[in-house]
Amino acid sequence: MSNLVFGKYIPIDSVLHRCDPRAKIVSLFLLLIAIFLPSGWYGFALIAAFLLIGLMIAKLRISMVLKAFKPMLFMMAFLLIINIFSVKTGDLWFSWKFINIYSDAVLNTLYIVVRLLLMVTLTTLLTATTKPLELTLGLEQLMKPLAKLHVPTHEIAMMISIALRFIPTIIEETERIMNAQKSRGVDFDEGSLKEKISAILSLIVPLFSVAFQRADDLANAMEARGYVPGAERTRYKELKYHNRDHVLRILSLLVLAGVIVLAFVI
Amino acid sequence: MAITFKKLNHTYSPDMPYSFHALKDIDLEIEEKKITAIIGHTGSGKSTLVQHMNALLLPTSGEVEVAGFSVTADKKPKNLKQLRQKVGLVFQFSEYQLFEETILKDVSFGPKNFGVSEEEAVKRARAALKVVGLDASYEERSPLDLSGGQKRRVAIAGILAMDPEIIVLDEPTAGLDPHGSREMIKLFSALNKEQGKTIILISHDNEIVYRYADNTVILNKGEVSYSGPTKELFENDELVEKFNLVLPQLLELKSQLQKKGFSLKKHYDDLEALVKDVAKEVKR
Amino acid sequence: MNAIEVKNLSYAYDSQKNALQGVSFNVEKGSYTTIIGHNGSGKSTLAKLIVGLLEPKSGEIYIEGLKMEEKNLPQIRNKIGIVFQNPDNQFIGSTVRDDIAFGLENHKVPTSQMDSIIEQYATLVRMQDFLNSEPEHLSGGQKQRVAIAGVLAMKPDIIVFDEATSMLDPAGKEELKRMIRSFHGNEDLTIISITHDIEEACFSDECIVLNEGKIVLEGKPEVVFEKADLMRKIGLDIPFSYYVKNLFKARGIKVHGDTAEEIAEELWQSHSKN
Repeated sequence: MSNLVFGKYIPIDSVLHRCDPRAKIVSLFLLLIAIFLPSGWYGFALIAAFLLIGLMIAKLRISMVLKAFKPMLFMMAFLLIINIFSVKTGDLWFSWKFINIYSDAVLNTLYIVVRLLLMVTLTTLLTATTKPLELTLGLEQLMKPLAKLHVPTHEIAMMISIALRFIPTIIEETERIMNAQKSRGVDFDEGSLKEKISAILSLIVPLFSVAFQRADDLANAMEARGYVPGAERTRYKELKYHNRDHVLRILSLLVLAGVIVLAFVI
Repeated sequence: MAITFKKLNHTYSPDMPYSFHALKDIDLEIEEKKITAIIGHTGSGKSTLVQHMNALLLPTSGEVEVAGFSVTADKKPKNLKQLRQKVGLVFQFSEYQLFEETILKDVSFGPKNFGVSEEEAVKRARAALKVVGLDASYEERSPLDLSGGQKRRVAIAGILAMDPEIIVLDEPTAGLDPHGSREMIKLFSALNKEQGKTIILISHDNEIVYRYADNTVILNKGEVSYSGPTKELFENDELVEKFNLVLPQLLELKSQLQKKGFSLKKHYDDLEALVKDVAKEVKR
Repeated sequence: MNAIEVKNLSYAYDSQKNALQGVSFNVEKGSYTTIIGHNGSGKSTLAKLIVGLLEPKSGEIYIEGLKMEEKNLPQIRNKIGIVFQNPDNQFIGSTVRDDIAFGLENHKVPTSQMDSIIEQYATLVRMQDFLNSEPEHLSGGQKQRVAIAGVLAMKPDIIVFDEATSMLDPAGKEELKRMIRSFHGNEDLTIISITHDIEEACFSDECIVLNEGKIVLEGKPEVVFEKADLMRKIGLDIPFSYYVKNLFKARGIKVHGDTAEEIAEELWQSHSKN
């Protein structure tokens, strides 16, 4: 579990870490659009350069991104094989018996790989530099206009932040219950289908019953401390834009503009 | 010996920057058919130590011998299941491990996992429930409807029904009221005296340790700092001071009285005997 | 004036016998009251009723003169706070700072004042060095202290501890009990502690003993603990010092102290006199 890199917050200090989550989320969207525009290799190079600078500023290593990308490699290889057999346009680059590889098959695959790599880098940049709680706070603020349409944005954000807060507790609990059941002879790795089902039940049922108990306790604790769903509250953490946030958004916008020019004008 | 630790080390996440050396060169012998208490501060490695006793954790280096099985760093014991049948481990807040629809089913779950026939498992479960003080009227009830203390009894019955030689308990009295704690600890004492089970008990409560444990092991920052008879530990002022032990109340009172100048015997079985001697001196 | 008045209070969970039956008592302002009873005696139900988390089936509760009912609930929440048993399940914020802020946000404290309030109360419970720590890096005792800070930051008149020490290790228990005692003596804060820790009850002004949903004993600790037999019968203990006192009393020697040291000193004094 702890080896998971994708989506993990890296607690170091950098300008990007200090940027306002809203600015980072908005930039993410602008750059996502840029990645999906058909801008060609020059466009990708522009985005890649921008993201690389981002990584450097955030003091993150490229190896981190590659690690996150690793699980997708298999999928990419699979895609390449399908493309080789289905795409028959462009120059013939390689021919052996019944296998004919055309340039478009390779280029198309590469196109997708590069796009994915850019997307992974982009999301890693966001999640590695932004605490989950800040992320929810940023999302809540950005969704604020939706509150006028009676979307309970605050409650949604509260739910997400409590869920995030309890993830470590639940992981610990899962380990404890698994150990207790192993001590009663449960084998979580091997066994017949029937044994497997019983093993999973012996974990899931206690986990749920603890979770319900916890939810009950938590609801009481929140109510006792004066929380009323939907009621007006003040906020401890108020987000404030700084100059760095404007710079970030303007730069992201410029990259998008550049990509648009490359895609549609030139 | 029921359990022997030989130069055992355990390190969590050894290759990570946040690795943690939880147990350091543990050499320890735990006597058969005795009650052994393991004490030490939170984080001293008590839970890590007991999880080696049924191979839930494997040593990073060194060896542990349990009931004729050997567990070392590189290999999981071949007969892992047999080992786990012989060493019943009851976790802290064990009431949270219940999951079957009825109490009888839950208690017979363990023995069935170890290959005992349905019929025999039910027979054992009934016997185990009786031992923990839950009569036949509980058999068909859902374990989730019970009070916290009763649930914990069901969980313990679930381990007893496996018929282990060694029973390891991680803070079995945590969160129970005084009456519940007393009943719980009497149960283990009886299992030891009447059925000859080896009992290993992690406890924070020195009253219980002093009164019931034959031997005591003190863990401190992953190292064994004392292992020996309980009485010799608590009735030795030097050791008490060295390990900064919270004295059981009887001993605390005795030591305060001695400090004032009363001359008293080395050992008193109970408070009444102590009061009798002190009263004699006061009235003289 | 009484901080709390409870009149003929009853409560029952569905399908079960009464958890509380006709309970009446008063709690004096600024006092420290312990409510003791074995698990299942109804004491946690009582705690939830007096902080307004459950609605009485019959009977009345007055908090600082205000009747417990729907329309008064927001005001009552300002007056009374509670610390629960499970350290994890009441830690709502993602850091110590955020958790103390949670109650302040609900009580609409202006954002600009929050930081100084948070620091003040974190310091009071000696958690000022852990303001940015996440709950998974804190001990049970530390989490409970944060819970106390979260309650006190709302400046309640009454604080209720519902078995707040029962899940902690001995060091955590001692520290928390000492902290609770240190709040005592402040006229503006009434303390109610629901517990089965008999030693804690020694330090309170008033003990209420519950059994099977009814009050069976009530009074100063020294009065309650004289009834050793009754206490044992309902699954409770009496403090060790009271065992000692009772045994010496049976031999015609009177001792009064609460700690081993005090008792030893008294005995030595009477020894020297003879």
